Amino acid sequence: MEFHHVRALLHAAPLILLAIPGSAAMEEKDFAAIKAELDATKHELATTRTTLERVERRLDQLEASRAAPAQAPSGPRIAPVNADNPAISFVVDTTLQTDTHGSGWDFALRSGELFISAPIDPFLRGFATLNGSTEDGFDIEEAAVVTTALPWNLTVEGGRFFADVGRLPHWHDEALPFVDRPPSIDRLIGGESQSEGAQITWLAPTEHYIRVTGGLFNTIGAEYNEQLRDEGFDGYRDFSQLTFLVHPETYFDLTDTLNLELGTSFVTVPKHDQRYLYGIDATLRHQPGTSEFYQGLVIGSEWFWNEQKFDDVEVGTDPGTGDPIFADQHAHRNGGYAYLEAFLGRRYSVGIRGDYAEDAFGPANRQRTYSAFATWMPSEFQRLRFQFDQIDAAGEPDNQRFTLQWTAFLGSHSHGFANR
Amino acid sequence: MASRIVEIASTFLCVGFLVLSAGSAGATLRVVASTPDVADMTRQIGGDRVTVETIAAGGQDPHKVPVKPSFVTKLNRADVLVVNGLGLEHAFLPALLEVASNPKILSTGSAYIDASVYVQVLEVPTSQNRAQGELHPLGNPHIGLDPVRGKLMAQAIAEGLERADPAGAAAYQAGLASFQALLDRKIVEWQRLAAPLRGVKAVSYHQDLVYLADRYGLEMVGTIETKPGVPATPGHLEELVNRMKRDQVRLVIREVAYEMPLARTVAERTQARVATVSSLAGGLPGADSYVDFIEANLKALVQAVQGGTSS
Repeated sequence: MEFHHVRALLHAAPLILLAIPGSAAMEEKDFAAIKAELDATKHELATTRTTLERVERRLDQLEASRAAPAQAPSGPRIAPVNADNPAISFVVDTTLQTDTHGSGWDFALRSGELFISAPIDPFLRGFATLNGSTEDGFDIEEAAVVTTALPWNLTVEGGRFFADVGRLPHWHDEALPFVDRPPSIDRLIGGESQSEGAQITWLAPTEHYIRVTGGLFNTIGAEYNEQLRDEGFDGYRDFSQLTFLVHPETYFDLTDTLNLELGTSFVTVPKHDQRYLYGIDATLRHQPGTSEFYQGLVIGSEWFWNEQKFDDVEVGTDPGTGDPIFADQHAHRNGGYAYLEAFLGRRYSVGIRGDYAEDAFGPANRQRTYSAFATWMPSEFQRLRFQFDQIDAAGEPDNQRFTLQWTAFLGSHSHGFANR
Repeated sequence: MASRIVEIASTFLCVGFLVLSAGSAGATLRVVASTPDVADMTRQIGGDRVTVETIAAGGQDPHKVPVKPSFVTKLNRADVLVVNGLGLEHAFLPALLEVASNPKILSTGSAYIDASVYVQVLEVPTSQNRAQGELHPLGNPHIGLDPVRGKLMAQAIAEGLERADPAGAAAYQAGLASFQALLDRKIVEWQRLAAPLRGVKAVSYHQDLVYLADRYGLEMVGTIETKPGVPATPGHLEELVNRMKRDQVRLVIREVAYEMPLARTVAERTQARVATVSSLAGGLPGADSYVDFIEANLKALVQAVQGGTSS
């Protein structure tokens, strides 16, 4: 744009005219004509300038818009066919463990877990977890269907799956924040809350988060399910032998970065075992969403109270005959854990955990476990974790256990809501 | 004992229904937006016809947005869900939708608005090999960093709002026209503002600035991350520093969701300057709206290129 040259010429024009010999003697009318011509030229230049500025703006716009497609494509963007239908993932969870009891060294495949999930139709999705391990061999850990379109915020889940008990009992091993499931959960729930049955969940249609789950199962707990299968359980049992579950949970945003989750669990077998398990869980999270070294904190705890009738327990010896005396016995036991995990940087965390667990016959067989653990995630898809456990079990010498865990995730990998 | 179960369950049901009935159904369209970018666009387009709540915050890494139960209730009550799309929300949205009990806002539902549908996508991977890092299968999802693509995102949002609320079609079209006119004006300004960036070689922390670089002529030569989503290794950093020295790269761009110390170390070793930008609206102070967000990023980059440091 050469406006400044033109403008300079215009400003210089009167001087040029004055410099012409004899110009002072020009007639008045000649001067008026020249002035009119000058005004016309100025006007023409102003018009040209406006036009050029408009063209310049348009050029800028065109340049700015060069990446925009001439015609927008229509329809939703669709992932390649079968990209996630079904979503398939495989988890490799291996450990190396030793202790000061002289047990030696143990390399173990803690879990090789194939997970498949997909929508079945507009109303249902299905999932299955097939698990193999050094200790337990191969098992179909879960195979279940879940409704996706029921009214009134209801969701029904049926099949074999981890019942919604407490917080950590329904987490898969590889998703736990520790290398092992807390001993109290192992003792009181029987490992994961694996169950065969059905549960219905209702999400309150409110601003405040309230979710209530009710369920009916053959039994709850991987260990108890295994026992049933080992005993040749044929699937039929009296209604009073079924296990009932109720699990309400709620959540509070205490501040923008601090929140609290609370839940209670109630599991019962009303008649046969006369089992009543009460649980309470609380999780406090600090999630500042910062890029600083300290990136957050989780404090979690669960406590369970269990009362259960055991049939034909040996309660003593007949003084006359010396024969053992058997009787039904009600046993009460407690257990729970609390842990703190701090997240440092984008890929590190460290934590401590304390666990107290009684077995079926109460405090006499209690176990206290104190643990410290550190986790490093080289990427989103693999994790290395070291854990030290100080185990204080009644009637046994103290034991120190060291575990190194290496976990990797193949294929589709997403974090489910339950494992948040 | 069974009666106790029924008692507990019915108490919770009653409380829930009472709270529900206490709430009044608003006349506006209740929108949940996954990111602050699409949230602001929706507000600009929808005006008084919409109320918008957002899940991710501006300064957060979209891959690390916490899955809070309070988001579930927002999604449960939403009339419409607006997402950036292209898998940007994969770390938090699927888990939330899994329990939100709101089929219409699922990706197959009528009230799911994907803002990316009209955008020309860059860096679409040719394979899904994780050895290449945590790639997004549909291409680089950080489209909002380019305001021209932002116009197309706005178009997709407006059309989605019209589908969900046909009665408001005229209002949404007017809102879209007004927003796009604003963007047109700003795009011209930004083109001039960002002129010093053309041809400037830079490294970023994460591979999320491809659209910004494409628009304003930055030449991205590497990332501090070894691969997308994979943290820096010492070997990679050494290689990056050597390359920056060889290619005379003088600009390190640190996205606000990533830590500063490593970016500063790389910059110090290469005599480069550090510019702090955000990949989402609201990540930098005073840049909550989409327009302010684009402008704040460009000003930070230009300031760093022209001799200052924005951090």
